[in-house]
Amino acid sequence: MKETRLGEFEEVILLLVGILGEEAYAFKIAEEFESQTNRSVSIGAVHSTLNRLEDKGFLTSEMGKSSAERGGRRKRIYTITASGERALEASRDFKLSLWRQYPAFATGKLDFGLK
Amino acid sequence: MNDHKPIPPKLAERFLLWFIRNDLAEEVLGDLDEKFYQTFEKKSAYRARLNYWYQVISYLRPFAIRKSRSINSNYIFMIRHNFLITFRGFKRYKASFFINMIGLSTGLVCALLIYLWVNDELTVDKFHEKDDRLYQVMQNFESSFGINTIEWTPAPLAKTLMDEMPEVEYAVPVYPPASYTFNSVVAIDNKRLKARAKYAGKDYFNVFSYRLIHGDRDQVLHDKNSVVISDELALNLFRTTENIVGKTITWEQGEFAGDYAISGVFEKIPANSSIQFDMVFNYELYTSKHLELQNWSYNDPCTYIILRDDARAEVLSNKVADLTKTHDPNAEGSLFLRKYSDQHLYGNYENGVNTGGRIAYVILFSVIAIFILLIACINFMNLSTARASRRFKEIGIKKSIGAKRSTLAVQYLGESLIMAFLSLIAALLIVQFLLPQFNQITGKQLALGLDSSLLLSLCCITLVTGLLAGSYPALHLSGFHPIKILKGNASTSSASLWVRKGLVVFQFTASVILIILVLVVSNQMAFIQSKNLGYEKDNVVYFNADSWNSGELETFLNEVSTVRGVINASAMKGNLTVNDHNSTAGITWEGQLAGEEVKFTDLVVDFDFFETMGIEVASGRTFSRNFSTEDSKIIFNEAAVKSMGLIDPVGQSVKLWGRERQIIGVVKDFHFESLYESVKPCFFRLGDKSMNILIKIKAGTAIETIAEIQDLYQKKSQGMALDYQFLDEAFQRLYASEQRVSILSRYFAGIAIIISCLGLFGLAAFTAERRLKEIGVRKVMGAGELSIITLLSNDFTKIVFIAISIALPVAYLLAKNWLEAFAHRIDLEWWFFIGAGALALIIAWLTVSIQTIKAARLNPVICLKDE
Repeated sequence: MKETRLGEFEEVILLLVGILGEEAYAFKIAEEFESQTNRSVSIGAVHSTLNRLEDKGFLTSEMGKSSAERGGRRKRIYTITASGERALEASRDFKLSLWRQYPAFATGKLDFGLK
Repeated sequence: MNDHKPIPPKLAERFLLWFIRNDLAEEVLGDLDEKFYQTFEKKSAYRARLNYWYQVISYLRPFAIRKSRSINSNYIFMIRHNFLITFRGFKRYKASFFINMIGLSTGLVCALLIYLWVNDELTVDKFHEKDDRLYQVMQNFESSFGINTIEWTPAPLAKTLMDEMPEVEYAVPVYPPASYTFNSVVAIDNKRLKARAKYAGKDYFNVFSYRLIHGDRDQVLHDKNSVVISDELALNLFRTTENIVGKTITWEQGEFAGDYAISGVFEKIPANSSIQFDMVFNYELYTSKHLELQNWSYNDPCTYIILRDDARAEVLSNKVADLTKTHDPNAEGSLFLRKYSDQHLYGNYENGVNTGGRIAYVILFSVIAIFILLIACINFMNLSTARASRRFKEIGIKKSIGAKRSTLAVQYLGESLIMAFLSLIAALLIVQFLLPQFNQITGKQLALGLDSSLLLSLCCITLVTGLLAGSYPALHLSGFHPIKILKGNASTSSASLWVRKGLVVFQFTASVILIILVLVVSNQMAFIQSKNLGYEKDNVVYFNADSWNSGELETFLNEVSTVRGVINASAMKGNLTVNDHNSTAGITWEGQLAGEEVKFTDLVVDFDFFETMGIEVASGRTFSRNFSTEDSKIIFNEAAVKSMGLIDPVGQSVKLWGRERQIIGVVKDFHFESLYESVKPCFFRLGDKSMNILIKIKAGTAIETIAEIQDLYQKKSQGMALDYQFLDEAFQRLYASEQRVSILSRYFAGIAIIISCLGLFGLAAFTAERRLKEIGVRKVMGAGELSIITLLSNDFTKIVFIAISIALPVAYLLAKNWLEAFAHRIDLEWWFFIGAGALALIIAWLTVSIQTIKAARLNPVICLKDE
């Protein structure tokens, strides 16, 4: 049985795949990651994570269209699977339940816009 | 900015393609291109290129790297395929596999054991740091018997060399010479132990690199009253090697008896030193008691020197040649240098010329090892080529789909290398198992220590064996024409048949030669053992009594002769089983021609010597206690009388070293030296110092008589245990190395025969299998079993006959050559040769018959039903 929990980086990548939809391929995801987090990342690192997530069954992929700036090469488009979505939900729920037990949050001093 | 767009760095791209998984290449290259152009637009071409490299390197992750990183996976695949084919072949043809395996590993076992032995022999005495500059001064004496070469040198030689020869860095005299030692008792408080001593010049430890644990190598031998002892002796005396420098021990050797202070401790002499001793005294201590050793005409000590770095041994050797004559006009010897480490392997001199020595055995065994390995390799070649027909289809198909000849050759060589390495593993296990027995036979302490040099040699031996064994099959099998063999009309060419037969002939020739040599060697050894020596060596006990004075000796001999079971007791200087008797030309006789000179061996004996040893008297009488002036009498052996040309010698007088002595008797010749030598002239005189006691005891009473002698001895020597030996056993030890060679060669010849037979067995099996149809047809037509057996055996009989006819003359020459070293030798009997030939033939027949009988008894229906 493969490890099915999500790491922090994995979770972000998984979310980005969902956000980018049709445009979710390694280079774009790395771009998006950099612009959203201001952290630099290599395409290789992203690709490796995508590969791992695919192994875990959270992603599927298929070869997409080619374009000129890619030298006519096709790209691999990733899509979230049902179990990928479940893993994201579980991760979010788990964190929310933790947040709810956090006293400062419970008394309303902190507000993340989540009700 | 440039007009045309830059492109991603080609090198990085190629690098990426080299390592990345094929299925990822397209998408990754695409992503990296996009990244490259984006960076280029945002930043610069340079940054883009740099980033491209960074991205490529960041793809060096396990998930992206292709599993097998070889450029040409076909190559790997072929190697894997070859392995597979090899192991399938082993599994399928188990009989040939085991024949090859047994043959090769037996061959390797022999080669390994011999390698260990030879290696050990070659390192004897080589461990001295200055080995390349360590020389020994030797001396040649001319006499009517030719040139006699001895190790003893004039006593003042070492000092003179130091003083007069600038080439000499160190020179030390050592007494007693060569490997002899003074054996006596060393004592502290009430502990008494036997020890072996040398007397050596003060630079002894500078010349020889025996390791000093305590003491300074320049200082330890400076004082006449000090002694250096081995750590082994120290442990036995003091139970420690620490803090014993300065302690006093008592040494009880005759004139040197006294107390000595320990000035140093050396590490036990290593086993591969030809000289063994427990303690070293100062040489001047010895000369102080032997003032005659200031004189150039006395040849007593050995002289060892260290040359200076820039000095040449040959030059110095010429320079010292006449050194004795310049100091003593009467001296006859001429000096020369010999490398010290050569003494072990090149110790024999004949008429002034080095005739080798143990090196002969080293070469002999190396040759045997090579022969046995060769025989084993030939088995492999023979069986592989013979089995070629089984592989016709494989070869044909491989060749027609494009295998090159070299590819096939590599395959077969690989096969034989795998075989060789498997055999090596088996051989190592067997050697480990056999080593104790082998050590017992060789009298060595060999061990299979896996050091780098051994490993290297092992790999070399195995590699050579594998390549040699595989060479012929590789060349032969890979040369087949694919069309012919696939059509099925490729019969083995007559040339290859010839080679195969030739190889078997070679194997059997080698085996027959070995059998004959073994017969000759063991017969010669038996001959020596049973040879009438001219004295009776059985039931004689002897032991050393160097430390006794003449009075003590006399009373002991008197007491011992009263012991029941003692027939006679006497004493002599030296020993009949060791060639260390002095010889002299100092005898003049009446009728001696001017310039005529005979070298006589000087044997110093006590009363009753001839009676004790059972030496026959030819005329006259022996020394007797009934006469008071026996000190001025002399006895000769027949050889001496003959060489002096005396007629009716008893009663005549000769002059020994200027003093008149009357001849009272002549004894028959007996062997007082090794049987390599003929009996030389010798004379006997009475003496009373430094004797070995000889006691003849009644046969069958050895145990109780020796017990009584032991009691007597212990009383005399304050509780020392008697260290006695039987003369016949000592005599056997004298020929120990011949004995060992004889035993070893018997084993090796046996092994050679076994390996040859394995080959023959395999070949016979193959022939029988190939001619199965023919046999079937013949049987259907009415041939009897016997006629089929003869049919199949005929081929092999012919081969073995050819081998025998080649082997006999070669063996004859070799045996004759070997026997020539002995003065007393057996004749080469015809039955050695016929016997060995017949033996080889019978063994060959037996081997082949197992297969032929099986084939002849086969039901023809079984072998013919296929067609």
